Amino acid sequence: MAILNLKKRQIECKIVYYGPGRCGKTTNMEHIYKSYKKQVTGEMISIDTEGDRTLFFDFLPMGLGEIKGFDVRVQVYTVPGQVQYRSTRKCVLKGVDGVIFVADSLAVRREKNMLSLKDLQHNLKEYGINIFKIPLVMQHNKRDLAGEGLPIMAVEQMERDLNRQLKVPSFPASAISGQGVGATLKECLKLTLISLKREMKLGQ
Amino acid sequence: MNIVKKIKTLLKEAELYHSQGLMYEAIAKYNDATELIQKNEQLKNKQNLLEGISKKINVLNKDISKIELAPKKPEVSENIQDLIKKMYAFSPDMDEGAKALEGAVALAKFGQFKRAISDFNELLKRDSTRVDAAKNILRCHMALFSIDEAISQYEKWLLDDIFNPDHLNKIYIFFESLLNNEGVEKTLPKTKEQVDKVKVAVSSENDQVQISEPKDAGLEKSETVSEGEVESEAGSEDVLDVNSIGISVDSGPQKGHVYEFKVRFQLGKVVSLLIPSRDKDVIENFKIGSEIHDVQYYSNVGLFKGSGLVSAVKEITIGPLRGDYCVDIEVMVH
Ligand SMILES: Nc1nc2c(ncn2[C@@H]2O[C@H](COP(=O)(O)OP(=O)(O)OP(=O)(O)O)[C@@H](O)[C@H]2O)c(=O)[nH]1
Ligand SMILES: [Mg+2]
Repeated sequence: MAILNLKKRQIECKIVYYGPGRCGKTTNMEHIYKSYKKQVTGEMISIDTEGDRTLFFDFLPMGLGEIKGFDVRVQVYTVPGQVQYRSTRKCVLKGVDGVIFVADSLAVRREKNMLSLKDLQHNLKEYGINIFKIPLVMQHNKRDLAGEGLPIMAVEQMERDLNRQLKVPSFPASAISGQGVGATLKECLKLTLISLKREMKLGQ
Repeated sequence: MNIVKKIKTLLKEAELYHSQGLMYEAIAKYNDATELIQKNEQLKNKQNLLEGISKKINVLNKDISKIELAPKKPEVSENIQDLIKKMYAFSPDMDEGAKALEGAVALAKFGQFKRAISDFNELLKRDSTRVDAAKNILRCHMALFSIDEAISQYEKWLLDDIFNPDHLNKIYIFFESLLNNEGVEKTLPKTKEQVDKVKVAVSSENDQVQISEPKDAGLEKSETVSEGEVESEAGSEDVLDVNSIGISVDSGPQKGHVYEFKVRFQLGKVVSLLIPSRDKDVIENFKIGSEIHDVQYYSNVGLFKGSGLVSAVKEITIGPLRGDYCVDIEVMVH
């Protein structure tokens, strides 16, 4: 639910990084924070618990500048991936405009990815949002670990597992090196703005 | 692959998983390695290897329990509290006062009581939010188990001149039933003049304040409220103050069971319940947007029946109430 202020010609929208525990959501945001200084408009706030696990959420405010006469502001959040924070994840999703689903490429996390995607679908549904309709982008993260000798899934397999029905844009990435991180976020922002534009037209 | 190489690979994988924070996956690899080593008779320094692995597993287990038993975070930093307010209390069409009130209630819901009290204190300055803010301040003190604090705050308000008599009366009725609900027997002063004269008697053998589970406190209360008070409260436009609610489960194995929950906060028609983690099963019945039929509302003027609309279900992840759930229900009386 983006907030539109016609008087100030301002749009504020919300993007959420979703995905299983340890898949690299916070690392994605850290990279954005470091590498997109021009678009970042404030501090990144992380609330984490023991072992660097996100406890509540990470938050990063961004500004995309003027688009078609509107000052576009974006609030980016990550959810806590650990299974027990189910309700918190739902809270963070409140009012979401676009979602980035970060999947872990490690073969041992295959099932966790699928469960998390299901959890996303379920939580969106509780807000009356259809996962097939919300701007959604997928990221296959930790591709670099193939070089370390850890069994990782082929992109094709991950696509089959997670994206066969959704058919959303997806990106290989390595959040730790930053590869693919910007492309993922940009695509999600693009889809979100297109969708907002459509909604605004409908609302007129 | 020869056996030594296989073991080395497993150990390296385990290390990598550990560095990724994937503790269980790391342990699984160490276990695989252990099995392989044990099966292999010819292996040199077998015992050393096994001991080394067992140490690693111990470290992992310690890490796991550290994560699982992570210390409860009391109040978080101020900028995070600001963010919580903003996150959970944004409704673009509300006026500033109402927004600020919602923000402060959001803080209280997440166990950030001290900050919430200070925000509510600011809201005492506005006409539109004064009474709600006062009620919530008392609730915050009670939630912090500082009943004495709540009482002295109330007495201070009687002495200060910030509330008009109608407001004071509302706060009195509210506070009295709140205390009652907590099992505290007292005679509260109603006017400036009565402060000091009235000693607070607490229902306990020693001097400790005892907190008891709310039973039908709201009902009991109704018998002691005089007619005049009932009128002034019921005649006002806002919804009655609800102290606790009873919900009957209408399906499943728990059918017929009545759960009772204390109301922690109330904002207009919306009451916030605190549901302890042990009652997790009940949470499943609370779906956002769904209507709960057959709800008993215990208010300070008696019991009334109605239904409720679930408007939010949140897990509290920080502060002393961590693990419990906060459920908002919009009161609907037929
Ligand atoms: N090699 C590698 N490691 C990564 C990558 N992305 C994340 N990690 C590591 O994975 C671990 C978890 O990363 P986080 O970003 O904290 O994961 P998260 O998804 O925020 O986890 P939760 O907050 O618990 O849900 C950290 O040790 C990261 O360094 C990646 O692309 N490659
Ligand atoms: Mg995280």
